[in-house]
Amino acid sequence: MSRILQIHDLKTAYFVGKKNQGILHHIKNAYVEKGEFVSVLGLNGSGKTTLIRSILGMQKIVSGQIAFNDIDSENLNINEISKLVSVALTDKIDDAFLKVSELVSLGRFPHGGAMGRLNDNDIHKIKEAIEIMKLRSFENRVFSQLSDGEKQRVLIARAIAQDTPLIILDEPAAFIDSPGKLGIMRMLRKLTYNKSKSVLLTTHDIESALRFSDKIWLLSPDGKFISGEPNDMVGSGLINEYFDKDGIVFNRESLSFEIESGANN
Amino acid sequence: MQMAKRTSAYIIVLTAGVLLLFLLNLSYGSVLISWDRVLDALFGRIADSPDAIIINSYRLPQAVTATFVGMALGLSGLLLQTLFNNPLAGPSVLGISSGASFGVALVVLSGSLSGIDFILSGFAFGNILVVVAALIGALAVLLLIIFVSSKIANIVVVLIIGIMIGYAINAMVGVLQFFSRSLELQAYVLWGLGSFSKTTLTQSVGLAISVSVLVILGCLFQNSLNVFLMGKNYARSMGINTKILQLKILVIAGLLVSLATAFTGPIAFLGLSIPHIARNLFNSSNHRILLPAVVVLGAFIALLCNFISKLPGYDTSLPINAVTSMIGAPIVIWAIVKRAKIKQ
Repeated sequence: MSRILQIHDLKTAYFVGKKNQGILHHIKNAYVEKGEFVSVLGLNGSGKTTLIRSILGMQKIVSGQIAFNDIDSENLNINEISKLVSVALTDKIDDAFLKVSELVSLGRFPHGGAMGRLNDNDIHKIKEAIEIMKLRSFENRVFSQLSDGEKQRVLIARAIAQDTPLIILDEPAAFIDSPGKLGIMRMLRKLTYNKSKSVLLTTHDIESALRFSDKIWLLSPDGKFISGEPNDMVGSGLINEYFDKDGIVFNRESLSFEIESGANN
Repeated sequence: MQMAKRTSAYIIVLTAGVLLLFLLNLSYGSVLISWDRVLDALFGRIADSPDAIIINSYRLPQAVTATFVGMALGLSGLLLQTLFNNPLAGPSVLGISSGASFGVALVVLSGSLSGIDFILSGFAFGNILVVVAALIGALAVLLLIIFVSSKIANIVVVLIIGIMIGYAINAMVGVLQFFSRSLELQAYVLWGLGSFSKTTLTQSVGLAISVSVLVILGCLFQNSLNVFLMGKNYARSMGINTKILQLKILVIAGLLVSLATAFTGPIAFLGLSIPHIARNLFNSSNHRILLPAVVVLGAFIALLCNFISKLPGYDTSLPINAVTSMIGAPIVIWAIVKRAKIKQ
């Protein structure tokens, strides 16, 4: 299996200016294979977003290698990377006129450049992305007027239109109601099955991450990194160890969090 | 498709409006000159008549200057608003026009200190000296801003530093003013009021050519600017070297502001308001539409303001900044209130 993302001996940190504030994580070996669905879990402050930003080169790393399709990212320019990895981030998009179809079509930029017009292939990819994320009915609406769930679907459609083997998403399910969350996770899962895309995402929704992912990356606040299949993580009690708190415990049978009996006052 | 049709219809109507206003600007003034006389004068058929002199030496350079300064300010406003992702960004925020003012203040007001009288040593000489001083002042600040932005990646910090540079320079101008004689002071204040009528025909043609080149350069970035609407991280993820793009956009916008200010003095509100009018009129933030839109609208509104400034019909016209501010300020308020409503 080819590895769309391979991380080797990566040390991440928060940086203030040029000084790092101590190593946040040391990831000896981690990878995402073609068609794989990987979720990054961890408590608030465990550095999920820092890891994503480090992988994407949006922030400095202390040391280590990140390779896309077996090519060290040091040897790829950002235009080449933009054809391998697309993103959906939590950055606020602050424009009062940008329409859904226009935003999705921006995903074709890496393939056309600064002056290029959309060709037939571009238009096909944009339409396909809009179909996949079920956005046909609000193609012509203004992005800033959509609900959070709809916005997230538009952002994912833009990433799909970019047509990269790997899609990285930071908190795609944040601020979205439960049916919406499941809907988004299911659409992403389908993408890995039908289009052999790889998906790497961060989430606070442990239950749906365990349900949809091929692999979980677990980040602990003390810098430990564990990668494994959801079943193994649950079976070995790791999920309980990391996330049980104040009488709220993870039930290994129902795969959901419950209030511990006798602790419900 | 329908949207594309409406867009081209608006552009065609506005272009026709620019031509109409251009002719109106030539025919209207303290002396009314009929349109056929205007055309006769332009094509050299009435070479030596007073009408021909009024048109070719005064009104034509003024109209050409208004047209291209409008384009320059409108385009620079759009580039800066997209670059800083801020609806209040405009030509004045980077301190570039303050730089121009400082250059002019230095030349005009130093007459008081050095004893050389620039004002009285001949109009033509004084005039070109003022243009060069303004250009050097503006470009010096632009270089400073570019240096800052090459050191500091955060564009908002660059914006704030630009505003602060503007304040500091204005303070220096204040000191110069304090030590000046009233004659020079008056000349400087007059320059600061802004005017499209300071240029000779040759200068206005030079301005037109350089603005045209920069407009074409600016249009090369249409897709990159669209991607920039999503912010720096997305732009980077789509293969844009944001630092280099920022620098290129700053240079183009900065040169446009420098040129415009050098030839006309600071003109208020055009750069700030024209992009807002364009977005609302064309109901779009797509730079494929906005770039041509601000260029045509810029020319249209500058010519309209210049025409309005002549309406009282006296020998002198209203200060152009009074007109642009009276038209511009309500437009900016309207656009920002509308934007706030859309977002709710």
